[in-house]
This record gives sequence, structure tokens and C-alpha cells, in this order.
Amino acid sequence: MVYKNVKGRIFDIQGYAVHDGPGIRTTVFTKGCPLRCLWCHSPESQHREFELGYLPVKCIGADVCQNACLDACPEGAVARDEPVEALDKSGLIQKAKIDREKCTNCLQCTEVCITKALYASGWDTTVDEVYERLLKDRGFFKDGGGVTISGGEPMAQFDFTCNLAKRLKDSGIHICLDTTGFAATELFAKILPYIDLFLYDIKHMDTKMHKKITGVGNEQILKNARFLAEHGAALQIRVPVIPKLTDKRANLRQTAEFCASLGDAVKLVQLLPYHKTGRMKYERLGWRYKLTNVEPPADEFMNNILAMFQSFGLNCQLH
Amino acid sequence: MFTEFDIPISERIQKLKAKRERINKDMRLNFERNRIITDYYRNHENEYPVLKRAGFLYEWCATRKINIDDDDIFLGDGGPQCRTVHFDIEQTSQSWIRGCFGDTDERFRAAWQVPGSVWVDDEDREWILEAADYWKDKDIAATARGLFPPEFFENAGPFLEHLAGSYPGHFNPNYERAGTVGFGAVRRTAMEKLEEIRKHTTADNVRSELFYRAIIKVCDGMILMSKRYAEACRKKAETAPTPERRAELLKMADSCDWIIENPARNLWEGLQTILFYQYLLIADGTHWADSPGLIDSFLGPLLEKDLETGVLSHEQAQELFDAFLLQIGNQIIMFPKPTNDQLIEAHQNGKTFFDLQGGAQNIAAGSLITIGGLKEDGTGDYNLATEMILLSYYRLRVAEPSLALRINKHTPDRIWDLGIACSIRSGGMPQFNNDDVIIQTMLDKGVPLEDARRYAIFGCVEPAISGKEWSMAANCGGFGGGASLIDILQYVIYGNVNPMTGAEGMLPCKKLYEYESFEELQAEFERQIKHYIDYQARLYHFAALVFNHEWPCLSASVMTEGCLESGKDVTWGGAKYNGMGSMFSAVGTVADSLMTIKKLCFDDKTVSTKELYDALRANWEGYEMLRQRILNEVPFYGNDHEEPDSLMQWFTNFYADHYNSRPGVNNGTNNCGALDLYWVAAGKRTWATPDGRKAGDPLSHSSDPRQDAVKNGPLAYVKSVAKLPWDKMRCGGAINLRLDANSVRSEDARSKIRKLIKSYFEMGGIQFHFTVADTEVLRAAQKNPQDYQDLIVRIAGFSAYFTHLPFDVQENYITRYEIGL
Repeated sequence: MVYKNVKGRIFDIQGYAVHDGPGIRTTVFTKGCPLRCLWCHSPESQHREFELGYLPVKCIGADVCQNACLDACPEGAVARDEPVEALDKSGLIQKAKIDREKCTNCLQCTEVCITKALYASGWDTTVDEVYERLLKDRGFFKDGGGVTISGGEPMAQFDFTCNLAKRLKDSGIHICLDTTGFAATELFAKILPYIDLFLYDIKHMDTKMHKKITGVGNEQILKNARFLAEHGAALQIRVPVIPKLTDKRANLRQTAEFCASLGDAVKLVQLLPYHKTGRMKYERLGWRYKLTNVEPPADEFMNNILAMFQSFGLNCQLH
Repeated sequence: MFTEFDIPISERIQKLKAKRERINKDMRLNFERNRIITDYYRNHENEYPVLKRAGFLYEWCATRKINIDDDDIFLGDGGPQCRTVHFDIEQTSQSWIRGCFGDTDERFRAAWQVPGSVWVDDEDREWILEAADYWKDKDIAATARGLFPPEFFENAGPFLEHLAGSYPGHFNPNYERAGTVGFGAVRRTAMEKLEEIRKHTTADNVRSELFYRAIIKVCDGMILMSKRYAEACRKKAETAPTPERRAELLKMADSCDWIIENPARNLWEGLQTILFYQYLLIADGTHWADSPGLIDSFLGPLLEKDLETGVLSHEQAQELFDAFLLQIGNQIIMFPKPTNDQLIEAHQNGKTFFDLQGGAQNIAAGSLITIGGLKEDGTGDYNLATEMILLSYYRLRVAEPSLALRINKHTPDRIWDLGIACSIRSGGMPQFNNDDVIIQTMLDKGVPLEDARRYAIFGCVEPAISGKEWSMAANCGGFGGGASLIDILQYVIYGNVNPMTGAEGMLPCKKLYEYESFEELQAEFERQIKHYIDYQARLYHFAALVFNHEWPCLSASVMTEGCLESGKDVTWGGAKYNGMGSMFSAVGTVADSLMTIKKLCFDDKTVSTKELYDALRANWEGYEMLRQRILNEVPFYGNDHEEPDSLMQWFTNFYADHYNSRPGVNNGTNNCGALDLYWVAAGKRTWATPDGRKAGDPLSHSSDPRQDAVKNGPLAYVKSVAKLPWDKMRCGGAINLRLDANSVRSEDARSKIRKLIKSYFEMGGIQFHFTVADTEVLRAAQKNPQDYQDLIVRIAGFSAYFTHLPFDVQENYITRYEIGL
């Protein structure tokens, strides 16, 4: 029995998500995550609550909309910014400026913003609604593709995630679950029959270090990985290589050993070199990006690590 | 990124590449051909047109200057400058010639005699002005004036200018016949045919007798030219710097004595034959598209044989393809013709002649090489030559000639991988063409299956039966007084007037606020489309008559299947198949505009048609909030929304059905397509449109959604575009996708491009090309063009060097949809 009306909170649905599993996939991103990885490239995924997002490039200036957002804000957190040249070079305009100290994320401004320069970082939906949307992309899913449920941590909205997976499974669509592994083992046991491939992150082998860089220890994550491997799941392990945080050779070697110990369940290990693409998303939310002095790892280093993983007999690739 | 394909190019190819770049900076207008034709026509005024043409071509073969440089691997470039800019005096408008060369000395020099300009000597200037006097009442425009019905002079001024600016011949010449049958055999057949019809002269075949005599003359000319090169090689060998070069030149001499008259015996001879034939075609007239179709098909066996017998090593064979590719790109056609004002302004801004050529260095005679596909029996037609041609494109990173790769279920993995790797590296080359649907469109034209399987692409994206079909240059985007959807939309909204130019249309109609229902507006839109298509189809018949009457194309007829058999020139309908294209464009702007009117004014009734009309008239001045509402709330084409996509289907189907059903020129078919080279320029003469676009802004490109309207990502984009009636687009069409570098970062991600193309093709799409370029990189290239000289992007139906594009086209390209991942 699938509960079509089970509610969920998501922040995006993306087609042609080429980094989220095999083939051409459409990814649903659920909102809310128990982890706080320092390199997180989608900050809007972290909190369950909606935040105010702001894309200044879309703002057409308060003169045109006659102060719509300023008037809508009950806290006086929106003001006119210094005049800047309009995108079409038609003259100077004053865009909105958000005082994040005063903003309570009530989102009333997003309702009046015509260009959606001010927007809520997500929306509430139902299994059925998401399912209908995903079906539109079905023509692309042949040849190994399908749907990926990602986050945030999709297991944190278990009812929604599990029912969506069931619904997709019933339609014969290939499903990946992109998870941190940080959830109760019995929930993994329940969802296991509906997931064709787990995209499973192993971020650090040392629990203290894991807690330092993600906010939680790794015991539960490693335990669930073993559980899934022992119960017939297919795993694609993803290892973020973040300079200074996870890139110590000893740690990566232990990670490789751990992956190898899971046996045939591990279909592929992907090494994910740190990249900066998530950086501007922090600005949109008015947050501070914490890894300001980290640069992506060198190709040569990544190739060495790749060789090391492969020496364990693992099917491994750079991603 | 693709180490397996990164085989370095040879030192000799590097030298040839450097030579090409050096000569790029020292170009001249080509007067040689124009002097030969003018002298010949002047001295033989009374000769029948087809004989006169043959006489000129023979004279050109017999007297053109021959030049061989030290490192040349292939022959045929005119000298001493190997790259010259072609134009044909008899098809160049008198006003352009007088405007450029009859200008004051000072302005003439500033336009044609400064560093960076395409050089014209004082002597050539004097000559062309005098020659223009001769051609005044004898050129192609004069023929057109002599036979066009008066209505076309009132309405089709631009078309006549276009006609006078371009020969017809948007086609795939039969290079295969040149290489595998030869001019000697064609000559023999023509002799036999001539003997035969001499015995039974009738009203029907009397003109054919003249045609066969002309063909014989052209064959004689070509055979003579090849032998002249043989002689030149021997002479050059006498002073060769090394014994190896001497031996090579002597071998080339032996080959030149043999080829053209006889079939090519090895790869070098096959490639050289294509080049010699290409020079003849361009000397005859700048057709815009002498596109080598399916050349890998007949080069493959020659290559295999050379490798087997040890005539060539693998590396030497690759070098030949490299050299061929550099050389075939050496032919440059002036397009469009710049005025002195434009040239002077360009030079003052540090730009060159080529910056005015739409970013293309040469439009390489409109050349487009098609490779891969199916044999007549339906088996896959891929061989080592297919692979080596792709590899040459990958290695050399040249923007021209364009490249098309045919895709079907037989396409080998390695060809797929190379095609995608090459496309990532060389800005959208090759384009990928879907055999399944395109062959069906050929069948729908009435072409039998075995011929339909042998289609190739010419020009930009247009399919035709290689070596067997003759077609006239298609109008693009309604260019040339034809049926332009955007013009028709304006007439329907503004009451038969284009508010930007004040020009009136041909069919008086209501204004936007006078329609009672959306259905009434739709009916008016259909009535207008029908009218302009009928008008256009009629116009094309007269255009064809201009060439039929006085301007044969013997260079095409000598090899095109059907001509020799029927005794008719291609312009007389001699080819086995005939086609005439018509392209619609601005699909996104039109669909979104109709959607806006339907939703706001008739469905939701939140805005009255009068208010929308007033806002449009005011170019949105004072209506910015309404404009923003439209931009942000109306569902637009390109997002897999049912409603705008079905509106798009309605008018594109209507256009295609009506145009395809009209009787075509030379009793051939009319072929509808979806392509536009002028979306930025056309935008400048288009007033505000209901989709929120301001007057003068670029239109949406070809069949693509509007640049900024794509909100649901690449799958929705591709799916919307796939809804076009591609099975009716017998003249092709393009989908332009720009991917960011992130999307090709890993091998895994790159492998998905193939899946995306396959999915799109399964949905019915016929053509796919993509460019990988980040906005950041493009911005940097704008700032420091000198560092990005080899950055190639796909801009319309062709690829171009980004830094050579006009600024407004660059801007439009940057804002065009980018798939961020």
C-alpha cells in the first residue's frame, strides 16, 4: 500500500543529474539533514525549516515593483541597496538588501516578489505530485537511468522517501538512494527492497574526526553500510576528498579497506574531489562559507588515490 | 582529457597550420576568376549560355595560376596567396561594387588597404569598376529584372538582392563519382550520348546536344588542369630541397597525370580529386554549400588498400587527412558583403573583415563534410576513414568545414566516443544526425529506400541525397521576402504593419484588440502563413527560371546523377532529385507570444487585449510590471509544459504541411526546415513581442526555446524541442545545447551525453549539437580575445571562432541557455 498523499519537503528536482548515479537521472532533493559537513555544497539542504533565498541578479529594483518586498516585510529587514546599473544597462536601480540579523525567515516577501529574486528555499509536496513530475522524464531513463532520491538526508523524511521509492518501483523505474547512512538500521531494512542502488557516503574512518567535520560520529554509518552489504543491497560508495579534512593517506587507505571488506555489495567506489561550485549558494542564503582557503586537490594526487583504491581490487573511478 | 585520442600532429602539419594562420592575415579578394569570366563572356557574348559557361570553365582550368609551396601535401590552391576570398562579379550587386570601389580614394584605402583588411590593389579597383559597367545589364540581377513579374519588385526587393548575391546550389556534389568514375568516363558517356541524339534531333533534345558539348568541354578543362599540375610538380621537383621531397613531387606528378581523367587508385589520389573538383565548383560560382557528403564511404577502401600494401603507414594516412582538412578549409566565400562604412568602422575598432563574416573565417564554401551512415543495402557504413576524419577534427581543432556524423544502430562505440570527444573539444563538431527519422523524411519526399539511405547534410543542417539532389539555397528565417513567422506574428498583432520599420504586409488584418477570440487570431495567423508560403513558393519558381534561362551550373551537372543521363543541366531539372528549402525560425518567441496572449487575454482574462496592445506599442515603457508578470508567470515553450508546446506544434505543423505540399521547383519537392542564421539581426527589425521581449532584442534562435525562458532544466528543454514535427522537417533543423564544463568533468558524466542524444533521437529529434563552454570562459574571451583564438562555439547551423563573432552575437550566445549541473 502506497500512501500517495504522504507529505514531503523538498528543495529541488533536477533533470540530467549526471553526478547522481548511472545513466540519465532526475534527482529529487529532500530538505533537512542531520549532518553539517563543512564542505556541504547545498547549504539549503541542511535545515528542515525554509530559509529566505535571495538572487540579487534577478531583482529589477524597488522602483519598478514599488517596494513590494519592503512593504511586505513585518520586521523591517528589507531595505533599498546602493544604486547599481541595471542588467540591460538602462540606468541605475536600487535592488533589495536583506538584513539577515532582522530576518525571521517568515517568507512574506517571497510571496510578493514578482521576479522570484526572493524565494523560499524549498516547498512542501506529496508523493503523488513528485511522482507525476518524475514521470515526465521517463523517456530518458532507459539505458540504465532513473530517479535518485537525494538530500539533505532523504532517510530523515522516511515516510515520504520510502513511499516515493515504492511508487517508482511499482512503475519499474530504477531508483538510487543518495544517503549519508545516518539513520536507524531498521529504516534501512524497510527501504532496502525498493532501492536498486545506494549511493552511500563514507566521509571519514575516524569517528572523532568524522564528528568534527560533519557534526556526527561514524559508528551508525559504518554499521548501516555493513548491514546493507550483508542483506543484498548494491552499494556505490562515494568518498569525498577534501584537502586538510579527509585527504590524509591513512584515512583514505582505511576507507579503501573498509570498502573492500564489504565484498561484492560494492559495485563502484567514486572519489569525489572537492570543488567550489556550492560557494555561491551560501551567499544566496546570507551564510558564511567555511572552507574559504581550501583548493581542489591536484589531479596527480587524485590519480594516486585512485590507484591505491584500485589496488584493493575495487572498481573505482574519479568523479 | 581523452588521452587515447591525443596523438600529436606531425611537424609538417604544424607547418601547414602555421602557413594557414599566416596567410589568414594576408588575404586578397580573388580577381583571377572574375577576370577570366569577364574576358570570356565579353568575347563570346553570342554563345548559348551553357556553351559560354563551359568555355569560361575551360579557360579557367587552362589559365589559372598554379602554385606549389614547399610543404604542400595537396595541390590546387591559387597562388601566391593560398587563401583568397571568393566573390563572383556576375552575381555581386552593382551597388555594392560601386559603393566599395567607386568610393573616395581615402575611404577605399581605409576599407581595403590597411593591415588586417582583405587587400584590393589600385589596379584591381580600376578593373572592377570598368568590369561592373560591362556587367550592368548582363548580370544575374539583370536576368531577374527581365523576367520577374512586377509584384515581386514591390514586395521582394531583399530577395532580388539575395538572388543577385548568391548562386543556387545548396547541395552535396557527387565527389564520389569524380573519384571513382572520373571525368574521362563522363566525357566518353557524353560523347556517346551526343552521337546518339545527333541521329534523332527533336525539339525535346536539341538543347541536350548543347549540354553534352558543354560537358565535354568541362571534362577537357579539368583533365587539362590536372595535367598542368603534373607538369608543375615535375618542374618543382627540379629544385626540390631534399631527395625525399623530389621523389614525393614526382609521385604527385604521376598521380596528377592519372587522376581526374581516371578513378583514384589510392588515398592521396582520392583526396586530391575531391580538392580539384571543389576548386572547379567554387570557380563556377560561390554556391554557399559545396558539401562533401559521405566521402569516407569511397575513401575507406582506398585507405585500407594503402595500409595493406604498405603504401602508407597509419601515421602517414592520418597526416593526409590532416592536410586535406586544412586545405579544403582554404576556400573562402564572402558572406555577407561588407560595406566600406562597416569595414572602416571595424578597422578603427581593431577588428577585421572576418569579424564581419558572422564569426566564420570562410564559411568554407559552405562546406560540410558528412561521414558515417548506411550503405544502400541498409548495413552500417563506418570504416577507418570515418574514424580518421573525426580524429583529424579532434587534433586540429578547426572551425571549418563543418562536420556531420550520421547516427544509427550500427554506429560503433569508438565512433560515438570520438564524436563526443571531438565535439567537446571543437565546439559542436560534429553535429549528430539521426538516420532513423531523416531517412523517413527522405522516403516521404518520394525517394526510394536505397537512395534515402545515402543522404548527407549540406550547408548547415540540411539533408539531401548525396550526389543526386540539386537544391537552391533555402531562405533562412524568412530571409528573402518569404514566410517569416515573426513578421507574420507582427502583422497579426499590429494590423498588417511592422511597427519597427513601418513596412506593410500584403494582407490587411485586424489589430490585437480587435480579435473576438483566440481562435479568431489563430485563424488569421494561419491565413497569413498560407498566403506568404504560396507567395514564396511562386517566387522560387521564378528564381529557378532565372538560372534555367541563362546561368547553368555545369560544375555540378558534370557529376550529379541524372544530368548526364537526361541531357539536362541541374538548373534545367536534370538532377535525379530536386529540392527547395524553406526555413522557419524564432519558434520560441512566436510560441511564447501566442501563449501570453492566450493565457492572459483570453483564458484568464487578467489583461485586456487593448492593454497588452498598448504595452507593446509603448515597447513596455510604463508597463514593466506587466512585462515581469509575463516573464515570470506565463508557461513558456522549452519547459515541457503541455500548452505552449502544443501551440508550437500547431503552427509548425501548419507551416510544414502547407509548404511541403506546394509543387517544388524543377518538379522536385518543397522541403520545410527549422533554422536561422539571422536571429540577432532579425530581432533588430522586430518591435516588442507579447512574450516580454523588447523591441530590437534578439529573437529566439531557430527551433530553440527563448534564451532566458528555460527554467526546468535540460531534459524538459530537450523534450519540448523533440515535440516539433521533425518528421516533416525534410530540410533539417538544429537544437543548440550549451553544457558547462562540470557536465563533462568525468568520464562517467561524458558517457551520459551519448544517452541524452539517443533519448532525444528516440523522441523523434533529427539533429543534435552541443558546445561545452562556461560563461566565465566566454567572458574572459571577450576581455582577452588574443588568449582565446581557438575557442570554437556552435552558433547556429555552423561552428565559429567565438572571438570573431560580433559583440551582440557573443552576448546572445552567452545568455543562451546553459545547463548548469
